[in-house]
Amino acid sequence: MKVLYIDTTTSYLYTGIVVDGKLIVEIKKEFGKDLSRQALSKISDMIKQAKLKPTDIDKIMVVNGPGSFTGIRVGVTIAKTFAYTLKKEVITLLSLEAMAISNKNEKVFKVPIIDARRGYIYGAIYNQENIPVLKPQYISLEALKSATNHLLEDFEYISNQEFTDLKVESYNPNIEKIVNTLISREGTNPHAVNPVYLKQTEAEEKQNTEII
Amino acid sequence: MKDIYILGIETSCDETSASIVKNGNEEIATVVLSQIDIHKDFGGVVPEIASRHHVKNITIVIEECLEKANMEINQIDGIAVTYGPGLVGSLLVGVEAAKTLAYANNIPLIPVNHMSGHIYANELEKPLEFPLIALVISGGHTELIYMKDHYNFEKIGGTLDDAVGECYDKVARIVNVPYPGGPTIDRWAYEGKDTYSLPLPLNDDSYNFSFSGLKSAVINLVHNEKQRGNEIRKKDLAASFQNTVVEIITKKTMRALKDYQVNHLIIAGGVAANKVLRERLMELCQKENISFSCPSIQHCTDNAAMIAASGYHAYLLGHRADLTLNPQSSLELANQKVVNKEED
Ligand SMILES: Nc1ncnc2c1ncn2[C@@H]1O[C@H](COP(=O)(O)OP(=O)(O)OP(=O)(O)O)[C@@H](O)[C@H]1O
Ligand SMILES: [Mg+2]
Repeated sequence: MKVLYIDTTTSYLYTGIVVDGKLIVEIKKEFGKDLSRQALSKISDMIKQAKLKPTDIDKIMVVNGPGSFTGIRVGVTIAKTFAYTLKKEVITLLSLEAMAISNKNEKVFKVPIIDARRGYIYGAIYNQENIPVLKPQYISLEALKSATNHLLEDFEYISNQEFTDLKVESYNPNIEKIVNTLISREGTNPHAVNPVYLKQTEAEEKQNTEII
Repeated sequence: MKDIYILGIETSCDETSASIVKNGNEEIATVVLSQIDIHKDFGGVVPEIASRHHVKNITIVIEECLEKANMEINQIDGIAVTYGPGLVGSLLVGVEAAKTLAYANNIPLIPVNHMSGHIYANELEKPLEFPLIALVISGGHTELIYMKDHYNFEKIGGTLDDAVGECYDKVARIVNVPYPGGPTIDRWAYEGKDTYSLPLPLNDDSYNFSFSGLKSAVINLVHNEKQRGNEIRKKDLAASFQNTVVEIITKKTMRALKDYQVNHLIIAGGVAANKVLRERLMELCQKENISFSCPSIQHCTDNAAMIAASGYHAYLLGHRADLTLNPQSSLELANQKVVNKEED
């Protein structure tokens, strides 16, 4: 079983190939604004480096959000098009989930966060079994901080970004562990693989407040 | 010669479209999914919403197109994709999908300029004859292009401010017609009479256009009439506005043909669907012994058939893109550099 893992939801490209439970190649690199230009090109280089062809891939595991709207669409579009045209299966997972799974579990609770600007973040609280005790959401950092109050300080923030006045464990995806943890998750029809933004567009938000 | 099948993909604005065209002129199948009804509520295209819908629909549209054509992806010789100009987030979805299709199936990837697509929509009617003048009139462009040969674009005139389609949509808004109002103004104009007087904009010796002044004139006219307590005769206003637009466009176009000693005129872009403009240009060309070509109405506004038609000629010329192809929101047509031209 050969699984191609793709995460472009932040400014980083995280991609790798796991063959029968073992990671054989990976790329973890920050591209920033150049991510859309580089993502597929780097993925194809990696597949070549693994001496594989696109058709050799059995499954795609793609992170479908939350994070940068553009970044999410890059990974999701690549994954759904690849899977659709080569008739492969797709497994989706959330960026926050990937962050929780990769964590070394030194604390009882894990609080992955991604900056959503203006004091807001995408965040969740996971226990050691990686089950969310606070479901993934778009929330102000202050509100999330209060939600961590009852965790008796036995938790850590995880992020690949920096936040002022907040100690975060830096996120380094363990692609092998993520893939092996989720490999039996039910697959999605490629056409139905869609982003999870966790946030409406500003135009929709404005429209909703006007209706209210 | 072997038949060449090009799959075109277009997502530059609010239409998700895929099309297969044979030998650059035979439309095999086209699917266009328009988001007009979604954006209507917002009075115009909301870029983030457009991008969200493209990503949701892109593979469905491609599959539907292949099914309609009764073809498999491995029968396709090249994948042509719009990479600009347009909304960068919208373009991105089409570009990523096209790159992935090309990579996964080992098919050449062909970068296509959206405006070149509008021009090549004419090839779906009859072959282009050179040299020609192309009058490109759309939501974002108003240009006169001189073409000596395939893929040889020389811009001889353009708009100094608003594009003509944009002006149609803004005028439509003044009289409370929902976005995009161009087609409604066109219909009304046909029924109304040219009774309001409006100035002919940028009536000079250049090949350039300017429409923001005309838009202001309409705003002022409506305002003044309201002040005087007069009812606006919307159909007459539409007719007056349209006549003004058609007059200045035909005037400059006909002069360009004469100055450049060109006997072929083609029109392209959403506003090329305009009934009066088509009729007037046809008449004038007939009188001057100039051949006139316009795309069928469904090929005037955004669609992937025109991208595939343009992509066919780009394919013959060896234009290729690699997997680093990226959208360019304000890509120019004139003197366009070929991205990553394949080394032979
Ligand atoms: N019959 C018509 N008369 C006048 N305008 C029309 C007519 N039909 C469509 N339009 C206008 O055409 C425009 C849409 O054309 P098109 O789809 O080519 O533009 P676009 O893709 O948004 O812009 P561009 O091609 O410059 O990037 C709109 O402004 C619309 O109002
Ligand atoms: Mg257009």
